[in-house]
Amino acid sequence: MSTLIVIDQPPYGSWAGREALDMVFSLAAFDQPAALLFTGAGVNWLRQQQAPDAIGQKSVEKNLSAAPVFGVEEIFADQASCQRFDLGPDNLVSGVTLAANLQAVLNAHRHVTFAG
Amino acid sequence: MTPPQTVTPTLHILNKAPGHPRFEACLQSLSEADLLVLTESGVLALADHSVALPGACRAVKADLQARALGDQTRAQAIDYADLVRLTTDYSRIISW
Amino acid sequence: MTPTPLSYTLVITGAPWSSQAPQSALAFARELVTAGHRVDRVFLYGEGVLLASALASPPSDEVHWPRQWAGFLTEHSVPATVCIASALRRGIIDDTEQARYELPASNLLAPFEVAGLGDWVEGNLKSDRIIYFHGSN
Repeated sequence: MSTLIVIDQPPYGSWAGREALDMVFSLAAFDQPAALLFTGAGVNWLRQQQAPDAIGQKSVEKNLSAAPVFGVEEIFADQASCQRFDLGPDNLVSGVTLAANLQAVLNAHRHVTFAG
Repeated sequence: MTPPQTVTPTLHILNKAPGHPRFEACLQSLSEADLLVLTESGVLALADHSVALPGACRAVKADLQARALGDQTRAQAIDYADLVRLTTDYSRIISW
Repeated sequence: MTPTPLSYTLVITGAPWSSQAPQSALAFARELVTAGHRVDRVFLYGEGVLLASALASPPSDEVHWPRQWAGFLTEHSVPATVCIASALRRGIIDDTEQARYELPASNLLAPFEVAGLGDWVEGNLKSDRIIYFHGSN
């Protein structure tokens, strides 16, 4: 039974996104089927070349690119949210599947979970 | 052409006030056979006439009373025991 | 007609006094037990770990959420985990972590115990239902 972890909060201003990533990586570590969905302001996690050292935080770009290696099935991003926040093929991190139909992504997973 | 998805009827528990981005996201995700339960700040949707509520909607009584909305009639008021029962009725539950 | 008892994992990610999560979750948990269901585990994550602080000191005329929860967990022998990564960051420390990091104090409220996300994964996998109580901000 697959779990979809949803990240709808933007990076760095709160820890919810990081805590969501920890959840998805834990599922993968225990060989449980898991996928990630970034939507709303959460898509801003997926912008290339983030440099959060200046605010005392670590970038998640490496974690995200490592996700498939660790067994995370797929990383979805809501297409409408990407358009809203000016994210496209030029500046999205690699390995992201754009989802035009958010409802279909939600329905495809038994568990739909937020970290907070 | 993708085959139609069979969606498991889902219980949605929503504690966000209307205006919170997750509020709208939840409402947009509701399917025909789903039930929406408003809790905490979510019950304010009943006082918000800009919100179109689904027909299948419940609101937690204690949260309504706290916010002086105990007299509202837009949704059936339920207590926590009812909420427990609903979680047994639905095998798929999303806490928004 | 008695329904079949189900097993539940309850996850709390909202802190007391910053959110209603601990209150909603406790009201729900009490009714679960009354209805004959089983609470497999309560898992505190993110800001929810503050519910396990032994140092919370609300005014005497306010509900003491950590103590209310501790009472419920003890009375019904419900395992309760505080996620270690969330807890350490936010200063919810048991004796082991105090020693490990040479911290000036520990403050974990019994019967909460510190463990990893594995407890959550297990709940996700094994419990009939998993319900989350988030903050609403």
